[in-house]
Amino acid sequence: MYDLLDILASGVHDAKNQLFVAESLIASAELERGLDMGEARYAVEAAAERLSRTLTAYRLLRQGEQASICPVIVGDLCAEIALAQQRHLAINHIRFDIDCRIIDECLFDRDLVADMLNNAVQNAARFARSAVRLSAWLDGETTVFRVDDDGPGYASLPPPFGIGLMVAERLAMIHRRQGRQGQLHLSNGGQLGGACFEVRLP
Amino acid sequence: MADFSKKRFLVIDDQPLARDALRSIAQTVGAFAVEFAANYQDAIYRIRNNIPDIILCDYVLGDGRSGQQLLEELRRFNLLPDECIFMMVTGEQSYEQVVAAVELVPDDYIIKPFSPEKLLFRLERIIAKKNFFAAYYKEKRQQEYARALAILEAQHNSEAGRPYRFEILRQQAEVLLVSGDAESAEASYRNILENYDFPWARAGVARSLHKQNRLTEAREEIERVVSSTPHFFDAVDIKAGICMDQGEHAEAQKVLDEVAKKTPRNYLRKRLLAEAATLNGDIETARATMADVVANDTMPGAISAEDRLNMARSHINGNDKISAEKILVGLRDSEVQNFDLATQASFAALLAISSPGRGKPRFTGLRPALMVTEIPATVRLDIMRAALGLGDNELADKQTEHLMAGEDAKKTFSAVRTQYALHGRERDFREIQRQVALKRIHHDDAPAA
Repeated sequence: MYDLLDILASGVHDAKNQLFVAESLIASAELERGLDMGEARYAVEAAAERLSRTLTAYRLLRQGEQASICPVIVGDLCAEIALAQQRHLAINHIRFDIDCRIIDECLFDRDLVADMLNNAVQNAARFARSAVRLSAWLDGETTVFRVDDDGPGYASLPPPFGIGLMVAERLAMIHRRQGRQGQLHLSNGGQLGGACFEVRLP
Repeated sequence: MADFSKKRFLVIDDQPLARDALRSIAQTVGAFAVEFAANYQDAIYRIRNNIPDIILCDYVLGDGRSGQQLLEELRRFNLLPDECIFMMVTGEQSYEQVVAAVELVPDDYIIKPFSPEKLLFRLERIIAKKNFFAAYYKEKRQQEYARALAILEAQHNSEAGRPYRFEILRQQAEVLLVSGDAESAEASYRNILENYDFPWARAGVARSLHKQNRLTEAREEIERVVSSTPHFFDAVDIKAGICMDQGEHAEAQKVLDEVAKKTPRNYLRKRLLAEAATLNGDIETARATMADVVANDTMPGAISAEDRLNMARSHINGNDKISAEKILVGLRDSEVQNFDLATQASFAALLAISSPGRGKPRFTGLRPALMVTEIPATVRLDIMRAALGLGDNELADKQTEHLMAGEDAKKTFSAVRTQYALHGRERDFREIQRQVALKRIHHDDAPAA
């Protein structure tokens, strides 16, 4: 007997495989014909991320999501987010830079955190005037990620929680270590003067 | 930047479309030589014949097999040199749960869909890591454990080692365990656990305790892993091994049976199940399981002489001496002559049990060596049994005395008792036990030198 989660997961899995076929066909065409279809590939990957995030949101609502804690090289994670977002943001005339001050491996769920940060960067870019920054540093034993933009900031604090923020907060909270729990902080007026999305992971 | 045009790629995926997609992406990062494998067997065949530089393996391989199982099998047969990159490709986020829990992990995994740039980035990071550990890998491969540990220690204290601090700790613990220093390995794993309760590290504590014969503690640790991480199947194998040494054969068989149903093609686990069933007296399960292993573990060289002896043993337990004899005489003479003494002893004992006429001369010829040599418990059981059957009580009792005095006493107790009962010698068995216990008391009472 299959439950709803199995059905959803299987559908998402199949769809992501198809999207991978689409992305590889685009990449081949780029290689063969010397085209740049980076935005098409970005759209394909964004669609896959949405599907994954929907599944994650469903698991979180059912309290079934668990963080898979692994050692992660934070600099590499930040570089991957830059790789995924920088070009797309540049096309929209937004500068994206990274300020990572962590050298050591840190412990968290690489995929869930990457997805959360990619989403936060995309959101910041929607409101930014010209710049978005991703910073990472250690505060004692806490790993802190922050996404700043130079837009108008959140209209109210705390802002109304849509699905994206709900998912981000719960993802932070399923990170637990040595009696501490992850947290999400939203504020205005950070490094770039706009909205400030900060995740603290134990 | 690494030059991928000279690297040989192997793409393993059972779906043709997905295979093509992976090849396209590999070509986009500059790969020139990309081979395909459409299934598990094909993959093993290709890797054996010509080790690729980079393996991109889908997690779902069809036919009840997974990329994780392939990875474990390749490691088991030492087919993956440290220089070879094994990257798992998966459409499911749930693979991260596997990686976070288990002891055997790929170099990295990547979730579909992904861009050529992301694959390139990940491959370069893996190469950087492999370069960092290259000197260590070399010493470890040559079993120069002291030197391997010295390299890790230096790296642990270096600036360059900071991004790999957990990997260094993990490798330290692993090397300490394989080098036989179980106490230090335990301390290393506990040190890792202070950072986070990684299932693989707790399993490492259990393995270290098991090696120190601290069975109750080992069992407690592994129970925690099994209950908190049900998809960490290797933890169940560890638990079963501990249970068997505790003499809890029924529990060992039960847990292995449950997991073996979920991993029907894991023949290492099936071998363990057969062992547990044998000890538990479930002769039919032992026999059926070993028959499955011998018939279906198709990896070349996977079926060892040990497996054939196990198969023969399970036939003997099932009172089918003709089938046992058939297997034993089917072994080539040249193969038997190359056995070490312990394996020769098992072979001779099992043949003497299944066909006394054929086996007795060989068995008797080995007798002087068997009276004095240190041999494993399974072999002692075979010898004891053959000796009882041939009326050589002195040889049988010698083996029993060793078994009851050693670490395998709990594991082998009921098997030994059953054999003595079959020959009407229960009283003699109790007497041997009594003598062993007395010796132990005297030994404990002896003043320290």
